[in-house]
Amino acid sequence: MSLPASSGGLGRWLGDHIAQIVLIPTLLASFAYVVLFSVWTFWLSVSTSTMLPDPTFSGFGEYAALWQSKRWTVSFSNLFVFGTFYVIGAMVVGTLLAILIDQRVKFEAVWRTIFLYPLAISFIVTGTVWRWIFHPQTGVELALHDMGWISAQFDWITDRDLALYVVVITAIWHASGFAMALILAGLRSVDGDIVKAAQIDGASVPRTYARVILPTIWPIFLAVAVVLLQFAIKTYDLVVALTQGGPGVATTVPAIVVFDLMFERGQIAQGSAAAVMILVALGIVLIPYALYMRWRKRQEGGDHG
Amino acid sequence: MAETTHADFDALSTGSLRRRITAKAIVYALLTVFALFYLMPIVIILANTLRPLDDIVRTGFIAWPADPSLSHWAEAWSTFCIGGTCEGVSRYFKNSLAMAIPATIISTMLGLINGYILSKWRFRGADLLFGLITLGVFLPPQMTLLPWAWVLGNVGLSNTISGLILVHVVQGVSFTTLFCRNYFLAIPDDLIKAARIDGAGFWRIFRRIVLPLSPPIVIVAVIWQFTGIWNEFLFGTIFTSGDKQPITAAIVAFSGSGTGERHYNVEAAAVIMAALPPLFIYLVGGKYFVRGLTSGAVK
Amino acid sequence: MKRFNIPLCTTLMLGVSTFALHAEPKTNMLHQWAQGSEAEAIAVLGETFEAQGGTWSQTAMSGHTSATLAKLRSDVVSGNAPAAVQLKGPEISEWTATGRTANLDDLATAEGWDDVVAPELLSVMKPEGNWVAAPMNIHRVNWLYSSKKMLDDMGIEVPKTWADFNAACDAIKEAGKTCIAHGAADWSDTTTFDSVVYGMDIDLYRRAFQEADVDAMRSQGMIDAFAQLRKMVGYMDEGINGRSWEQSMAMTMDGDAAFFLMGDWTVASANLAGYEEGVDYLCNQTPVDWGGTGYILNADSVVFFEQSDPDYIEGQELLAKIIMSPEFQVTFNVAKGSIPSRTDVDLSVGGFTDCQQQSQADLVAAVDEGTLVRSMAHNMTVLQKYRGAMMEVITEFVADDSITPEEAANQLADAVELQS
Repeated sequence: MSLPASSGGLGRWLGDHIAQIVLIPTLLASFAYVVLFSVWTFWLSVSTSTMLPDPTFSGFGEYAALWQSKRWTVSFSNLFVFGTFYVIGAMVVGTLLAILIDQRVKFEAVWRTIFLYPLAISFIVTGTVWRWIFHPQTGVELALHDMGWISAQFDWITDRDLALYVVVITAIWHASGFAMALILAGLRSVDGDIVKAAQIDGASVPRTYARVILPTIWPIFLAVAVVLLQFAIKTYDLVVALTQGGPGVATTVPAIVVFDLMFERGQIAQGSAAAVMILVALGIVLIPYALYMRWRKRQEGGDHG
Repeated sequence: MAETTHADFDALSTGSLRRRITAKAIVYALLTVFALFYLMPIVIILANTLRPLDDIVRTGFIAWPADPSLSHWAEAWSTFCIGGTCEGVSRYFKNSLAMAIPATIISTMLGLINGYILSKWRFRGADLLFGLITLGVFLPPQMTLLPWAWVLGNVGLSNTISGLILVHVVQGVSFTTLFCRNYFLAIPDDLIKAARIDGAGFWRIFRRIVLPLSPPIVIVAVIWQFTGIWNEFLFGTIFTSGDKQPITAAIVAFSGSGTGERHYNVEAAAVIMAALPPLFIYLVGGKYFVRGLTSGAVK
Repeated sequence: MKRFNIPLCTTLMLGVSTFALHAEPKTNMLHQWAQGSEAEAIAVLGETFEAQGGTWSQTAMSGHTSATLAKLRSDVVSGNAPAAVQLKGPEISEWTATGRTANLDDLATAEGWDDVVAPELLSVMKPEGNWVAAPMNIHRVNWLYSSKKMLDDMGIEVPKTWADFNAACDAIKEAGKTCIAHGAADWSDTTTFDSVVYGMDIDLYRRAFQEADVDAMRSQGMIDAFAQLRKMVGYMDEGINGRSWEQSMAMTMDGDAAFFLMGDWTVASANLAGYEEGVDYLCNQTPVDWGGTGYILNADSVVFFEQSDPDYIEGQELLAKIIMSPEFQVTFNVAKGSIPSRTDVDLSVGGFTDCQQQSQADLVAAVDEGTLVRSMAHNMTVLQKYRGAMMEVITEFVADDSITPEEAANQLADAVELQS
């Protein structure tokens, strides 16, 4: 800061650097957490660690072994399929709900709460309940049979091609309210004049949203996408409770593989390699985002940093 | 904020009366369909807390309670045996409160201060630091389990609730700093400059200017942190033992494939109990959550 | 306040010094028996421990092995290895190799464990020659539970060979009923496959599942075994995914399915749920094609990790003593459906069921006949990394019809080779 501080000497120095000083504890903690933990994991991935961490260097063999394992390749591609459908699906549903609520509906708070409450429910519970619903012998299919519709079939969760989409639907149920909340807030901040202008030009309601309103709040979509993305990468409890990664390995996600390798099987090195691959996947998504944000800031001229 | 300007626009107020009514009907119909889908799980859990076990086993989870009984609630709270201790979920519930409340408060306060510094006392490298702190949001928890175990062991906090609080604070600061920093960016720099010219220092500006403007983002951070920490189960089960485990560990114990029949009705009641605190926070703070998010995380 | 300080201090110091003179046995046992009959059995252990002057606490990790191991690993990394952990098979030897386990030889000698523990468990409990673990029980994995009602209705005998079994299932399927009750999961699919491989070719079982011999895995015998497993999946109903083993058990005992292949913990659960041996269900060994007594063994044990606190060291001795006592072995195993790990316990008294007594008789017979094996599915043979890799292949095979038996056999071998 360029402003003059009031006193001199040590006090002045302290005054000038108070921000940095106050930041130090959190900073050290965050640094240790983000950087050291990642470096530690990377080091273990090229070490001879098995039952317990062992820093002896061994090479990149565990990465090779990892990529030859079917469970890993399936789970890694699941992460991209799940992540894409989940992030886009939650945003589409969230947008739709936000637009509906934006129509000056009565009891707005009630609707909003109904759509937002899943976010308060843990993934374990979410997964358990939806398994009850989706499983043909406890859920919808059984209920339909009991009602007399004997031929009813609703067994996606036991179908290896569809089970991943059961996970997607459940995850969308959990997070779309969050997307709705943010997008709704965004809709409310749009300048009414722009909208009026569009209406006067004779644009229909859907067209007004699609062409005028939604494009002005695109940064919100970006923010929603980033938050959803971290949920997607960390997805673990939900799948464990919903499908246990099955049928077979059809719905396994990388976090499950990391956990099993590191903890159940005593292959800490290979589990660490899997964790590093998750970080790499994250980098693939986040680095373009960071570069874009930087570029955008330059475009704006950096006037408010 | 801009809410007032937007309120002038009512998308469905144009066109003929008939068209308007049809449009409204479609809006409410869609909302109802969605609401049914969203409410289904909670209704199913609630219904199953009231049903006898043999009824659930016979007709599945989707059925109306024919002979409702509240006894499973009492059982889940105070007498059901989990992990060889027949005290229900009550003590796990208390553990979770003892963990989630301090962890939420500390991480929110640290987030406020960090956000204030990173937005209003910017220095060289501040953006890099901010990026570093927010990267913590993305680390998969499975990866951090062993390093955390090592850290907790070395600071003497293994198997304690304080240890869990430490873990949740460090991880939570990533989120709260992200929220608060983005929120504080919206406070005009001139306001801060003026205060400094008047001789106000770092803490005085924080107390007099920044804090009074903070409630919306504090609510967001508290809701987000409390829900996340309350619902987290991996660290909760691994970093505690015996009678210190949080409620998520108890819920997972219900779903474990032990021998003996699954008490789905008691499990359902326990699930509702485990969900109550975050639900309560959402119900109370939901309105502010939306308002705070608009001004905060959205940048 | 001040005047209370001195007496308080003295009391505290006195308390501390008496404390140090007489170590008070303490323990914290880490296990995965969080609920049901197993949790009750563990509760008995705790009560006995307290009755003998100890301070008991436990951490129950809810039946997911990986969570228990995660807890153990993180405790060891944090420098607080738990005093007692429920661990089994090769894990005992792996953890012993890390040098963190305690040595119970003195106690074992004093108590004469070498003479009373079932010989097939000795190498597991003493991986490097020293006692590091106390065995709690012997489980039999190769049980075939039949629905008495269904067999009577259909006029079918309990099958003795896999050919008989297939014939029975064909008839049951013909009649529009479910032959095998099953809940798919890696461990349960592998439990079934244990019995299939073992029953078809015992040498193949030994080479493939005990020695992790990849050539055996690629052999025609393994291909045949996978073909049999494929056939059996066809005898199951559509709802196997997401079904728990308890639900499968109930399906069989209610007469909704003819057979259920599962270990003897089923006996405890079934009897607890009110089903009756000989009335609702029959227990027999899973089919074998070589005409003898088959026995696939699984055993639970408690491993002791090195401690520095004398209270906990004392606690370990007390706990090990209690676990190995005939009284506890009876109470625990009656509740758990298994049989004692001591050979000198009489099962005709104390409440053991017919199925349990059969298990003990068959164990003795299998030892005589040289047919006893340990269970791969239940982590009694190969290292976890091999077992995990094999279970992946087996559970995928069950889930995915498009994998041929030949492909599965090769995948099994490939998966194991990849880990070595």
